[in-house]
Amino acid sequence: MRSVSPGLLLTALLAAAGFVLVPQLIVAAPQEPVMGFVQKIFYFHVPCASLLFLSTFACAAGSIAYLFKGSEAGDRLAVSSAELAVLFGACTLITGPLWGRKAWGVWWQWDARLTSSLLLELMMVAYLLARRYAGPAGRKLSAALALFAAIDVPLVYKSVDIWRTVHPRTTVVPTLDARMRPAFWSAFALMILLWSVLLAVRLRLERARAELAALRIDVEDLTESAA
Amino acid sequence: MRRLWLAVAALAAGFVPALARAQEFVKVEGAPRQEMPAAPFVAAAYSVIWVLVLAYVIVLARGIARVRKEAAELRARLDREAPPGRPRAAS
Repeated sequence: MRSVSPGLLLTALLAAAGFVLVPQLIVAAPQEPVMGFVQKIFYFHVPCASLLFLSTFACAAGSIAYLFKGSEAGDRLAVSSAELAVLFGACTLITGPLWGRKAWGVWWQWDARLTSSLLLELMMVAYLLARRYAGPAGRKLSAALALFAAIDVPLVYKSVDIWRTVHPRTTVVPTLDARMRPAFWSAFALMILLWSVLLAVRLRLERARAELAALRIDVEDLTESAA
Repeated sequence: MRRLWLAVAALAAGFVPALARAQEFVKVEGAPRQEMPAAPFVAAAYSVIWVLVLAYVIVLARGIARVRKEAAELRARLDREAPPGRPRAAS
């Protein structure tokens, strides 16, 4: 059995502790006067959206390293981050409508923030599909797609300030009630820890796949030399 | 030309009052309100996040286990079948 790195183990333990502590802080935080209890979704919805952005940027950084330097490590980072972007994008796009249904009365609005977020998620899904099904050129095609997705991130973030939307603006977090901040930032830290653990494990899987591919070549060489 | 002016006047006669009405705001009193409890939405949102993360962790764990198993099989085959002078598979 392979040993687990101490850093990864510590991060996983901290994340596990967060699962116990953070819900208590969220319950203890005061209720928002207009929306009431449903606003509690905010404490995980916003970190999930932030991790969608972070994952997309990580994917783009890895894709740049792969496209311009041929870095295999960059490619592994890109595909691992793309999966996390899809995961946290799905969390964002499911928790948002659950909040919206209660707060706005509708599940979905085709406004700038929601639509651009959906497009970003679809771009990251397209990254994974292109990588899997586009044949030998799939890795380069998906890497180029990741760059477009990264360009979409600032647009998604600023969309609520540029256009009139039903979605709250970017001023919500900076002007958050001081009594809500501990719950929000601890939830944010927990999600960052969780993201780090998942990324580390996913990178490990990608390295193991690379080793496996090398082993398959060795076995093929052996079979050919024996024949 | 006269017909055109008449048509424009007729359109304006219909359009201007409609536009004026559209600008008025009339507060609706006593309309039925749709009251929904918030707790199911919050519970659903939190459940979705943890279910998705857990599902991803399971997929990762199964993927790692499958790759390790296949790698161990290939290493064993290389060690078994490699000629004496050839370097052994790295573990």
